[in-house]
Amino acid sequence: MTITKHHIFRSLRIVATLILAIIAALALWHLYNYYTYAPQTRDGKVRADVVSLASDVSGRIDSVAVTDNQIVAKGDILFTVDKARLRNALQSANASVATARATLASAEQEARRYNALEGVVSGQDRDLRRAAAQEARAQLSSAIASRDLAKINLERAEVRSPVNGIVTNFQLRPGAYATAGQPVMALVDRDSFYVAGYFEETKLSQIRPGTRATITLMGEDQPLKGHVVGLSAGIQDSERSASSNSTLAGVNPTFSWVRLAQRVPVRIEIDSIPKGIALVAGRTATVTIDDEQAGKERAQ
Amino acid sequence: MIGEIDLAGLFVSPLLICMLVAFFARLVLSRLLEAVGLYRFIWQRPLFDLSLFFILLCSIFYVFRTFAG
Repeated sequence: MTITKHHIFRSLRIVATLILAIIAALALWHLYNYYTYAPQTRDGKVRADVVSLASDVSGRIDSVAVTDNQIVAKGDILFTVDKARLRNALQSANASVATARATLASAEQEARRYNALEGVVSGQDRDLRRAAAQEARAQLSSAIASRDLAKINLERAEVRSPVNGIVTNFQLRPGAYATAGQPVMALVDRDSFYVAGYFEETKLSQIRPGTRATITLMGEDQPLKGHVVGLSAGIQDSERSASSNSTLAGVNPTFSWVRLAQRVPVRIEIDSIPKGIALVAGRTATVTIDDEQAGKERAQ
Repeated sequence: MIGEIDLAGLFVSPLLICMLVAFFARLVLSRLLEAVGLYRFIWQRPLFDLSLFFILLCSIFYVFRTFAG
């Protein structure tokens, strides 16, 4: 009798402890799954397109119309390049046009005269005069094209903003020399802010274009709303290196037992920004995919 | 869902904090159970303690998730 009671107590003890252990294992499994597969990343960045603005004409910078961190609209003048030389070039081009016009008038008159003297001057002479008039006409169009170019250069001396943007890291001062094609300032496109979330590939199956996403910026309480636009089509293969003197694939011969999930950039368009949040390209963001849709798909 | 905890500029995963909290909660709970004498009904004490820790960890994590968004 006492032995049975003792036995029951003993097995009860074992069963109770094991049940608790099983619950604990399930809890752990759940946590692990959550951390591995929940479509969420703490590694997101706010990004924007940056225009490296260069002057189209070379020259000394005459005046600067903007300051650092100023918001500019498309078409606003940012700075102007010294116009003296360009104006001079336009004047010279105008003079060339006038010369060409005078030459043409004279050549045409001569051609007309020679044409009237049929039978008096040789056919060759008349042909020569006609050719000279044609040449003068071509010279005139060439001079006009040069003048238009000088006009364009003069217009481009006023460097205008190509986008709605924000001037950033601005150090340009009058007197600096702008070389055509060399970037002198950076302009962040205000309309181009987006968030790049770097998601592990284990989570990609739950991320579809159009899925809603919640973005929390570091240090901000209020989340931003967004949606997934698309996945990056490719990332660099780190197992492969381009060797300089071979056209064959250079594959890393070591292969480790521990493999890491590759992270893939996911582009997220920002739909709404709460008041008071400053979007700065480069800010750290936590991105969570609102997985109603993803959850449904998983259940199926 | 999984937020971050700001420790003077160091942002850490909340799981770390949950682990710390669960560790101390388990210590306290074990003392209590011992005082009550519940350990008489336990087969393997280390296994029980470990299970208790994980269950506490998971619960604390879900509580944190619900309240801290």
